[in-house]
Amino acid sequence: MKAGAGGSDRRRSLAFLAKFAALLVVFYFLLDWRPVNDAVVVPFTAGVARVSAAVLRLLGEGTTVAGTEIRSARFAVNIENGCNGVETALLFGAAVLAFPAPWRRRLVGLAAGFVAIQAINLVRVVSLFWIGAHRPALFSSSHTVLWQSIVVLCGVLLFLAWATREQRVRAAAPAGGGREGRDKDGRDRRR
Amino acid sequence: MAATAAAEPRRPRLRLDGGSAVRLAAGFAAGLAFWFAFSAPYERAVAAAAQAVTRLLESPTTTTLAAEKGEIRVDRADFPPDSPRPGLPAADLHFNFVMLAALFALTPKPQSGANVARFAAAAGLLFVVHVAALCMQVQSVYATSLGPWSEAHYGAVARNLWAGGFHFYQVAGRFAAPFVLWWGLSRFELGATPVKRGREERS
Repeated sequence: MKAGAGGSDRRRSLAFLAKFAALLVVFYFLLDWRPVNDAVVVPFTAGVARVSAAVLRLLGEGTTVAGTEIRSARFAVNIENGCNGVETALLFGAAVLAFPAPWRRRLVGLAAGFVAIQAINLVRVVSLFWIGAHRPALFSSSHTVLWQSIVVLCGVLLFLAWATREQRVRAAAPAGGGREGRDKDGRDRRR
Repeated sequence: MAATAAAEPRRPRLRLDGGSAVRLAAGFAAGLAFWFAFSAPYERAVAAAAQAVTRLLESPTTTTLAAEKGEIRVDRADFPPDSPRPGLPAADLHFNFVMLAALFALTPKPQSGANVARFAAAAGLLFVVHVAALCMQVQSVYATSLGPWSEAHYGAVARNLWAGGFHFYQVAGRFAAPFVLWWGLSRFELGATPVKRGREERS
């Protein structure tokens, strides 16, 4: 992607963006569908709350959890969609799936990226709770602008790192064969 | 991807290294400072443009959008004088400018005239996105938040369309827009160093 010359390069770039946008819409409808939201997203968000509260307890904050809400004597937050890292994972997943690569490496990228995004999001939730408890005047701008931007930018960087590695593996594949340079149909994907 | 050497000048290569981390951080800080400094006039411009677009959709023209204290205040000529006016949080709408600035700073040779021009074009397109999102949000408020008035003036399909459209912007669109604009407008090569004469360069 973004390599090569002239029109074919432009077409590949636009094809990637078109696939990315289409996948984003599909994933959005999937996650917004109430059965999926109730059975997957809400329990996952409650898990994010439990892990975050455990880390906060290690840091000396006396936190308790009720569902998706983290409470202490000084502060309370309800972790909603947008704070559970799912949106960034959705963007990352759409980008990885839209990028030309063998399915096996896409799946590895998706799994590794999801874990990394959740680790970054854990830092975000813990730090935001701490800011809310100890520097409440900074909470709103930290929540809306700083951390949302940082988490999404980390998602973009993870995608770029994965895509760069994918390109390198493909370029290094031997000319006559090797599964690394071939797609799921066995066609040589190198250009 | 191996680059095909053609007459076209080679694009700068995006490497994820210390230099790119510094560029990203600097772009993020600069974008954040710019955003904080110019949020208020920018919100007035977005509100004015969205008001003009919204009025194209209504007859008679009743909607007034005013940016004040970090909110876009929605007013209609037919609202009862003593009823509260909805206030929409403005920062949620346009904070993604900071992401756009950071991504264009990540591009190799970010200070080049061509990259700055592309960033300006992307910022202009992002303004259009913000206006469209605000129009959708206003319609979403009209369609779902005004009780019997909403039900009288918006059908089920229209309610779902406006509310779903703005919700998509909130969940995915506002984060995706800077990435799509950056990817679509910027010029760089990504990935493996091109294979030359059968040997691969290390990147």
